[in-house]
Amino acid sequence: MYFSDLGVIALILALGFALYTVVASVLGAVRSAPQLVQSAKRSLLAVTFFLLLASAALVLSFLTHDFGVGYVAQHSSRAMPWYFTTAAFYGGQEGSLLYWALMLSIFSAIFVFTSKRAPAALVPYVMATLMATEAFFVIVLTSVSNPFARSPIIPADGAGLNPLLMDPGMLVHPPMLLMGYMSFALPYAFAVAAMITGNLSSEWLRSIRRWTLAAWTIQTTGLILGAWWAYHVLGWGGYWGWDPVENAALLPWLTATAFLHSTMVQERRGMLKVWNLFLIIASFALSIFGTFEVRSGVISSVHSFAYSDIGEYYLVFLVIVIVFSSALFLWRLPQLRPEQEFDSVISREGVFLLNNLLLIGMTFATLWGTLFPLISAFVRGQTMTVGPPFYNQVVSPLIAVLIVAMGVGPLLAWRRTSRSALWRNLSVPAILAALCAVVLPIFGVIDIAANIGFSVCAFSAGAILYELWRGARVRHSHGEPYLVALYMLFNRYRQRYGGYLVHLGLVLLIVGVIGSHYFQQQRDAVLKPGQDTNIAGYRLTYLGNIDTKESDKETITAQLQVWSNGQLQSYIYPGRITYHNYGDQPASLIPINTFGFTDLYVVLTDWNGAAQATIRIFVNPLVSLVWYGGVLMLIGGVICWWPERRRTLAAARSAAKPDVAVGAGIADGGVVV
Amino acid sequence: MQPALTIPASEQETIRPRKRLPFSFILVGMAILGAVIYLVYANTQANAVYYMTVPELKHCTTCATQAVRVAGFVQNGSIERDDKNQSVSFVITDSMQTLPVTYSGVVPDIFRPGVQVVVEGHYTGTGPFQAQTLLAKCPSKFQSATAGAKK
Repeated sequence: MYFSDLGVIALILALGFALYTVVASVLGAVRSAPQLVQSAKRSLLAVTFFLLLASAALVLSFLTHDFGVGYVAQHSSRAMPWYFTTAAFYGGQEGSLLYWALMLSIFSAIFVFTSKRAPAALVPYVMATLMATEAFFVIVLTSVSNPFARSPIIPADGAGLNPLLMDPGMLVHPPMLLMGYMSFALPYAFAVAAMITGNLSSEWLRSIRRWTLAAWTIQTTGLILGAWWAYHVLGWGGYWGWDPVENAALLPWLTATAFLHSTMVQERRGMLKVWNLFLIIASFALSIFGTFEVRSGVISSVHSFAYSDIGEYYLVFLVIVIVFSSALFLWRLPQLRPEQEFDSVISREGVFLLNNLLLIGMTFATLWGTLFPLISAFVRGQTMTVGPPFYNQVVSPLIAVLIVAMGVGPLLAWRRTSRSALWRNLSVPAILAALCAVVLPIFGVIDIAANIGFSVCAFSAGAILYELWRGARVRHSHGEPYLVALYMLFNRYRQRYGGYLVHLGLVLLIVGVIGSHYFQQQRDAVLKPGQDTNIAGYRLTYLGNIDTKESDKETITAQLQVWSNGQLQSYIYPGRITYHNYGDQPASLIPINTFGFTDLYVVLTDWNGAAQATIRIFVNPLVSLVWYGGVLMLIGGVICWWPERRRTLAAARSAAKPDVAVGAGIADGGVVV
Repeated sequence: MQPALTIPASEQETIRPRKRLPFSFILVGMAILGAVIYLVYANTQANAVYYMTVPELKHCTTCATQAVRVAGFVQNGSIERDDKNQSVSFVITDSMQTLPVTYSGVVPDIFRPGVQVVVEGHYTGTGPFQAQTLLAKCPSKFQSATAGAKK
């Protein structure tokens, strides 16, 4: 018996238990039989166990180099180090599906363990939805896309992993992004459960919000890691190309972001219930759509994934999800009355609504651009595409307005804000932005769009920092040192201050994007030893090529000196690695030297013998801010998500209305109006 | 600094008749919606390029005036590099039809005979296709090249 046989058995058992969980939990809920629900919970944990077992079987097949398994033979070789061999687990379609299924089961198990916190009536339906989704994946895994399928001929060695994937990024980016896609299943399950039971209580809202925050944070991490990986590996000097595959990952992120904001309106004022349910369903549908689009080949992308019949399965699943959710949605619609009405645009909820419109606008534009080849083929009978300029020109103005809204929003009160209060709160950031707009041209920012972008960011960052400072000052006046005050603010109002961190991170990220988009410099040079080339105050002197031959690969690097301010900064070695089993796919070695926030990015594009090299140099200003901003968003997301202590939670629950609880905190800087 | 308005519980519980959305909301909403639709429409008009196969290009009558994207496979033995101008000329094929292409600029890592490429540029109907951009299909992120054929 091979490990792969064990894997197949585990998958079949997982499928059986998943189907049983669906039936048992629904029956348990309908007949109100707690023992059936309890049995469903245990059965769900069994699914998790068997998927863990199946995954372990696949990893062991990899580590024991069992090339009789087709999947192992195609994605690993004996020469690969153990960590890439393990990572090859999710390096192909079948394995990545198994990874998806595994993560879904682990998240479901976490849900079961924490299900005491969720409203009891919802738990069975959440489990049923999760396990129905799980059943779909396991069916695909046991039929069309089985990672354990054995081939009759056992090769002596495997094909190895694609060279572009032999990078540390490979160890973190795909699992994060896949986990992100998957994690939208949990808020969706909560939405389905709420629609079935009609329970949209504040406890439901808290649960769904926390799971969405988790999904959002994971997806943010996956996106940032993807950008970072592309930047370090692909060698075109950028990190985001509006490729359909990237867009697919961005779409659910945008709708989830919209949900996280509009849900606060529901929490505080009981409005937008219908809208919020729609956003959650849309996020999940978009994440399934993303996976479908990537796998099916309906849209041509520069990432050519293996196209297989699996796309059809996803399409069927997507249709089921949309039809099922829409039916539930329409059935429940009459009971989803808003509890209150909107009063004024210049209010917290007004800005949240604006934020939602903008995010949905971006989602629509991105989806439109991604699907445009299909739309044009359908309407005009001729396939047409739109490239990055389309996205940049549509999304940039929307982002600019969004950033302004981001600065203004937290300063507004719920319901309505007086003009004088508005001016009192906004004068400082507004003056800062105006100052920024005036000063920037002196420092060479003459591009109007870039100037507007920077000024808008200055406004928003100013508003957030001013707010932090005022919060800290209030506590300081009660006798706390500033640092302690700041810590206490974050500790007591996690969501609010975590949110500020996310906003600040996004502002940083946008500043980085503007900097590297508008002020990128590029230079190509053909150099012989001793020759040099200059770009943006840096001088690169070429010395020669180095050719290193190893058992599985050949590496050619050019040796260059980097000079700046008349001083030798470092030696760099841009190069190419050719793996013998992937001779037609060399991977680039890209040295990136960071000076302040500016990256010097050097790619070896061609060479001739030992004494000539063609290099392409990019100078990417402010690009580091993209990564710092991303990390800040991640930290902010985690702070928002972090569980409150039981004591605080109990206090919040015993308070009749959340308004009262927050209102009581004014004196220490909790609410600033 | 004043507290966020606290709504008495009694007020929340009474179900009021549905009021229309305030006019200001409708106005702002329409403005945003209009802006999004305009942006999408205008930029689609400005940025859409035809994406066609080699045989389709041969039959295209309007392609001389606008940019086109063409996909095809690089023919064996057709690549000629000109180091002085950093340009490269090659032939792409698709469905038994061929198209000569010239391109100057840095070629992607994986550009070589047999690889599928997408070129974007202008085609006058005679002479080679003048490519401004050259994209080679990235090898799969999740699938190795050898396995890419058929599972």
